[in-house]
Amino acid sequence: MSASAEAAPAGAAADAMVRVRGARKTFNVGTPEEVRPMQGIDLDIPAGQFVIVLGGNGSGKSTLLNGLAGTFRLDEGTIEIDGRDVTRWPEHRRAALVGRVFQNPFSGTAPMMTIAENFSLAAKRGRSRGLGWALSSSFRDELRDRVRGLRMGLEDRIDTAIGALSGGQRQALTLLMATWIEPRLLLLDEHTAALDPKSADQVIALTDEIVSSRRLTTLMVTHAMQQAVNLGDRILMMHRGNVLHDVSGPTKRRLRVDDLLARFEDVRRRELLDEGAAALLARAYV
Amino acid sequence: MNLLLGALTLGFILSLVGLGVWVSFRIFKVADITVDGSLTFGAAITAALVVVHGVNPLAATLAGMLGGMLAGTVTGLLQTRFRIDPLLSGILVMTALYSVNLRVMGRSNVPFLGKPSLQTWCEELGRSLLGAPTVDLFGWPVAAGDLAVVILAGLAALLVGAVLWWFFRTDLGTAMRASGDNAQMIRALGADVERYRILGLALSNGLVALGGSLLAQYQGFADAQMGIGMVVWGLASVIIGEALTGAPSLGFSIVGTVMGSVFFRELVAIALGFGLNPNDLKLVTAAFVFAALVLPSLLGRGRVQEVRP
Repeated sequence: MSASAEAAPAGAAADAMVRVRGARKTFNVGTPEEVRPMQGIDLDIPAGQFVIVLGGNGSGKSTLLNGLAGTFRLDEGTIEIDGRDVTRWPEHRRAALVGRVFQNPFSGTAPMMTIAENFSLAAKRGRSRGLGWALSSSFRDELRDRVRGLRMGLEDRIDTAIGALSGGQRQALTLLMATWIEPRLLLLDEHTAALDPKSADQVIALTDEIVSSRRLTTLMVTHAMQQAVNLGDRILMMHRGNVLHDVSGPTKRRLRVDDLLARFEDVRRRELLDEGAAALLARAYV
Repeated sequence: MNLLLGALTLGFILSLVGLGVWVSFRIFKVADITVDGSLTFGAAITAALVVVHGVNPLAATLAGMLGGMLAGTVTGLLQTRFRIDPLLSGILVMTALYSVNLRVMGRSNVPFLGKPSLQTWCEELGRSLLGAPTVDLFGWPVAAGDLAVVILAGLAALLVGAVLWWFFRTDLGTAMRASGDNAQMIRALGADVERYRILGLALSNGLVALGGSLLAQYQGFADAQMGIGMVVWGLASVIIGEALTGAPSLGFSIVGTVMGSVFFRELVAIALGFGLNPNDLKLVTAAFVFAALVLPSLLGRGRVQEVRP
């Protein structure tokens, strides 16, 4: 467990794919809706590590992913990806390094465009787009091959508008698109939460296959404890904009769903205590 | 016959406006009212250059198109860099262009008055190729010059349509379509969505201004009022085109817009022939676009009810 800013975990620092230092962010500053989803986060992720991010609503787990993707600028702190300081890079520039799958299956694909056209866009992720034809016959052949690997029967439908497909199919395709060019960092933001259980299992199996076969550095947010236990090399548990628990190695492998639930219960109890104390103080002094 | 031929020419020329509107309305899903100003801007630049400065008509036409692209760029900047509502951005630029157009022309109406233009070039070309002042077309006498003009206007529409079809199939054009379809997705794939929108609106208004420039040369004058209601004309072309072809693909959508423009112009010519008051034309057009926007959903609802037992 390393939550200290000055001493990064030994060994990890040298080949860290992702390095976050003192990341802070406040949204809606000065309004009643003010939230602080990042309160000085330090994080090192070695190349090839598959990290599961857990946490309740408003714990800051999605904000962590969006911060890495560049959806917003940090108030304080720095982010390095693959040795490059990307703190000030806008979202579309970071896309050269980062592949993403969103929670909403509709977010990751352009619905009016065909499967083939969507993939032609993914094949140019982070690269300059010129006036060459977007679709060549060799690209279509390669696409058919790769889509066949999904075993969803979509290889014969690559000229179908992607909006006609189911959520599970779209999410599987988005995952394939995000990894078409190998990303230095793959961000999966609850990408199975909006799917029916069967589709969710399919997409999770595909995720595991892609991430472990290609050893992609990955952050995956999930609500499903079973996924967290079965997948990945490391678990981050977020709470109120901080990393509360950071479990990896043999401890992570021994971890069971019950252990995770116990830790969540622990968090909840502490929160109740805080609220109870606040209510007591309010009664006494206000 | 001459009336219908004239309507065909006008339909081809205005199909460029339709295609410009198609880019903003169908690709970026905004009704960009800059069109009303940029059409006149293209016409004003060409007229001023040809009549006042004696510039080569082809160069003057290209200059008009560039003017429209500049207007589109400004609208795009207002929408993206300054985060102004798309409709309001268009209104601001259109309003500003009204003064700019008067400045460019120096007065509210500039007639070509026998100066060489693309129109006179085409007429000369037609007469010299056909070797006679009139030709017999299906039993109707038609001026050779008019025939050449309609053919070349058709070729212009064809060429612009083909270029658009090609462009929106390139890497750049595909990404531009995606930025209108799902901005979040294409941003995550590394595209600068704002830049694409500016580029797209420049393209759109460039086409509109090209249409305006050709229109001025065809009718023989540029007028400060000529752009009024043109965005609705363009929308009508797009919507009729979709009704005619069903718009199952990009190519059909583009061809449909050209067909829609021609079809609508012919309808108007016939209606005017039957005594429609030209003053009512814009009211009829607006009512038509309203009906085209609303009817499909009304009919669709009716059909769903019919299908149910």
